[in-house]
Amino acid sequence: MFDLDRIISLLRQGRHIAEETVYTLCLLSQELLMNESNVTHVNTPVTICGDIHGQLHDLLTLFEKSGGIEKSRYIFLGDFVDRGFYSLESFLLLLCYKLRYPDRITLIRGNHETRQITKVYGFYDEIMRKYGNSNVWRYCCEVFDYLSLGAIVNQSVFCVHGGLSPDVMTIDEIRSVDRKQEVPHEGAMCDLLWSDPDDVDTWSLSPRGAGFLFGGQQVQEFLSRNGVDLIARAHQLVMEGYKEMFDNGLVTVWSAPNYCYRCGNVAAVLRIDDDLSRSYTIFEAVQPQNDVGNTILPTRKPQMDYFL
Amino acid sequence: MYNGGDEIFIGDTTPKRVKAYVLENNEWRDTGTGFCVGRLEKSDVENDDALHAFLVVNNEDAPEEVLLKSRLEGNIEYQRQEETLIVWKDLTGHDIALSFEESVGCDVLCEFVVQVQRKLEPNISLVAVKSTDNGVGSVHEIITGPVTLPSRDWKQDETSLLEALRILNENVAFDFLKNETIEFVLRTNYLDILIKHFYESERQRLPRDLLLLGSIVKTLILYNQRDILEQMVADDRIMGIVGILEYDTEFPTSKANHRECLDSYGPGFKEVIPIDNTDLKAIIKKCFRLQFLKDVVLVRFLDDHNFNLIVDIILDLETCIVDFLQVDPFLDKLMELYDDDKKFKDEFPENELPEKRKGGIKLLHQCVQMSKGLDPIDKSKFYKTLVRKPLFKVLDYAFRVETDDSVRILATDTIITIIEHDILLIHSVQHEKKHHEASGIQKQQGQSSEDGKPTAKDMSLLLILSTILLTDKSPGLKEQVAQALNTLLHPEGCFGTESDFDDSPPRNGRGSTDFISDFNYDLQMTPEEMEGNVGYLNGASGTSPDLLMVEYFSNFYSQVAPILFAPLIRKNGNPPANELQGRDNSSLIHLVKFVSFTCTEHDRRLSRQFVLEHGLLDSVSELIGPSHSLQLRLTAVRCLKNIMCLDDDYYYRYMISKELFKPILGLLEENLYEDNLANSCIQDFFKIIASNCLNVREEVGLSAYSYIVFKTTNFTLLKTHLIEKYGSLLEKTRYIKFVDDLLRYHEEQTISEENFIRIKPRSGSMGAGDPTDEDNKSAKRPHSELDPHGLQDSDPSMGERSVTFKRALDKFNRVDSSSSAIFGEILRE
Repeated sequence: MFDLDRIISLLRQGRHIAEETVYTLCLLSQELLMNESNVTHVNTPVTICGDIHGQLHDLLTLFEKSGGIEKSRYIFLGDFVDRGFYSLESFLLLLCYKLRYPDRITLIRGNHETRQITKVYGFYDEIMRKYGNSNVWRYCCEVFDYLSLGAIVNQSVFCVHGGLSPDVMTIDEIRSVDRKQEVPHEGAMCDLLWSDPDDVDTWSLSPRGAGFLFGGQQVQEFLSRNGVDLIARAHQLVMEGYKEMFDNGLVTVWSAPNYCYRCGNVAAVLRIDDDLSRSYTIFEAVQPQNDVGNTILPTRKPQMDYFL
Repeated sequence: MYNGGDEIFIGDTTPKRVKAYVLENNEWRDTGTGFCVGRLEKSDVENDDALHAFLVVNNEDAPEEVLLKSRLEGNIEYQRQEETLIVWKDLTGHDIALSFEESVGCDVLCEFVVQVQRKLEPNISLVAVKSTDNGVGSVHEIITGPVTLPSRDWKQDETSLLEALRILNENVAFDFLKNETIEFVLRTNYLDILIKHFYESERQRLPRDLLLLGSIVKTLILYNQRDILEQMVADDRIMGIVGILEYDTEFPTSKANHRECLDSYGPGFKEVIPIDNTDLKAIIKKCFRLQFLKDVVLVRFLDDHNFNLIVDIILDLETCIVDFLQVDPFLDKLMELYDDDKKFKDEFPENELPEKRKGGIKLLHQCVQMSKGLDPIDKSKFYKTLVRKPLFKVLDYAFRVETDDSVRILATDTIITIIEHDILLIHSVQHEKKHHEASGIQKQQGQSSEDGKPTAKDMSLLLILSTILLTDKSPGLKEQVAQALNTLLHPEGCFGTESDFDDSPPRNGRGSTDFISDFNYDLQMTPEEMEGNVGYLNGASGTSPDLLMVEYFSNFYSQVAPILFAPLIRKNGNPPANELQGRDNSSLIHLVKFVSFTCTEHDRRLSRQFVLEHGLLDSVSELIGPSHSLQLRLTAVRCLKNIMCLDDDYYYRYMISKELFKPILGLLEENLYEDNLANSCIQDFFKIIASNCLNVREEVGLSAYSYIVFKTTNFTLLKTHLIEKYGSLLEKTRYIKFVDDLLRYHEEQTISEENFIRIKPRSGSMGAGDPTDEDNKSAKRPHSELDPHGLQDSDPSMGERSVTFKRALDKFNRVDSSSSAIFGEILRE
């Protein structure tokens, strides 16, 4: 029998999960996620979390400091994988929570949840190191294609990984995107995952090579057109954990403390209460301890099995 | 240490023109202009026969007059300021400056100072001082000077280690000191001294010494020097070094177990076939140990520079290994393991053979994995060698005989790596083989069994992969095989790009390669005729990769596609018996994606003929039905959407007349008011139709007389078909903007048509049946910019007059208007 609680406990310790188990997890997640909408409706109170980037131990701190999945509702704004050493465990843990508490956690796709990006920024290599072949990476990428593109809290907070798109005037329009695909290089779906707010007057080219830069005016127009108060997004490192912009019409939330184990930043999560008030919880990186700290690479066998 | 004592000889330098200054009362006093030489001579002091070094300046007007004579001695620091100035304070406290006419002159005297420091006065130093780029402040760089080095005493203790650590940390900051220190470490047995003391400290339990040793070794790694790293991983040092690194000041109370970890990989190689060459063995070990350092021992410690250096060294060693493998008989021996008739009694017991063969596949996989980072040219060379050996013997064994999934996966991965690098590599090697055989050149060993399996006609790899995809139970293997097939069947795969395999929409401007369009093929040509033709062409021009591709793809459609697509193929219009129900979900999903892939990426005529003749789209449509999994149903919808975007008249005629869209409407009805993926997927379907219909809606004429032109396109035909058939359902779906758009467009068109006299009703659904130009029309995805030309009518430049005339008539019919202006324009055309 498929024992979700046991898998969760293994994942929380950063232990190895069998390939077949990952496959089953991914299949179950697909079935669950495909019944969700592109923009999921979520009720308050809810905790909104930014990039995780494979920092499993900091993810555990996040849950600890913000009430825990047993008691609170969560929205994750994407970028679960890459950079950190525990991309797989972090992502699978979130999937397990999703399966275990479907109504209590919403997972939004980030720009790192794609085949192309994960091949370059660590997740693929992590899987090759941990399993010796790329199957698990393929299973996970298939799940990435099913993740939501955004969420909306009490009809008043729009959550997305990157930002706005000139091709998306109303939130309702996002519904007509067939999201089950590798993130395209242009268009609405791409922009939602890639764009950044900046001090610009109009839609501008993004230095990232995908998505757009958008300014205060685009934000105000979007807010009033859609009758929402706030855009909550992640996607950019903020040393203080969060940063409000454009008369508090947009906030960047960053939840990977000491990003890449060297940036020295703190992390934050944003809680939206029933009265729509915002409160931020700041937390720091787990101190490395022997075999527990977030910076210790799990050493499965190195690849050169046959050469020594 | 460089002071050689009695063998000093430094010649006089050539005189260089210079102004000499002395600092007096905080002002530089010019003592005159003259020529400066550096020379060795005996001092004036009595009873001192030793040579001393001096800088001497003689007046240029009166050469016998000495303007300056200063001995290089003690711990004088000479500063070279900018290009032409040497400044120092002599032992008596005088500040002296020499200002050279040319920087070359300054160079000569600086070199003299360096020589003197090395051979005579080890404690003097020369420092270059340059102002920084922004003009504020200055940079000091030591050119020569005394170097403090760690103690080389075999007897070390906490004090000497602490001192060593301090020295090493200081020296790393200046290039000169750093290089001298590196020389010291490389030329002496310093590492061995550290290692000896390490074992001593472990024995005596001296935690502080151990932590210091750890820090010293880490500091040496920060020197980022290849030779030091290579010394560290040498056979007699690696355990000591790794042991030292188990002690880390960050975790002073605990200790890692790197040595145990390293030991667990066994005392030596796992050798499937014994490697005779000792140099190769040494390189392989070094390579592994560096990886171990990089990935395990130092993973938290390395900065980008260190990391890159180690990666570079590893890459270098890997290139060596790969080069070695190609010339060594090692690979031949490995391949022999898979010869069915060869006996190995002499080498190992018969019952070990299956394990050996498994090991061989793993080993090959590792070699190919390792080669991934190499230079593309080296990779090609290596893979060609493998394919020539031939690698297929091994893969064939893996797929036919081997039952262990994990091993089979490695075999697929090996193929994928090779074909992703260069899809044509395998064919080209097989081709060259055929060529050799044909021209009677002596065959290579072990190749005789390959006779009669020539070049691009050889579909065996595709057949093996197809069979795995359809029958294998392992989902991971299936995914990999699907990717391999996808790469092998991608017309652009030879560039090693685009290996993603998913539901992404067909991209404009690429897609179906038109590689046979020049040959003026008749559409109705049978596959046999086609193959004949291609064979002829191929025979005519030999090795052209394009022609190889033509042959390859036509062979695919005649030999492989009927097997690959078997579960979807309908004979005489009958559904495949039980095939759809019996198949497992993931195989069908892959197959439907392949249908979409061949339709959008392959040569249109080839793929369309196959797809339509075998009723593949009927089966795809059926898979949208409610008895299948939602993933499969949506994959099938996406397949039809992608084909819709091709804007291909033949496909439209087929899909509309056979009502293949019906199940999509069924799916819509099931998810009518749901907000889920199915609903979104169908919204996208209507978005494609609506935006393409609105694209061709044109308002014509002056404002007073303006009217709307409703052109007929595949999309408007589909729109009409859908609304006429399923209008009542669509009415319920008006909340979807795009359905509403379509309905309003339709109403507008109906009203407009009623207001005008129809000149001639359009006959049939096929209008501009121009079979050769559909590739030029690129259907736009809705998020693209609106392109008014994208869906314009067919290119009018098609030669035949009759075609032009027919098209004129068609256009006339499509416009459905009585405007004489339009009429005239059409007649002119």
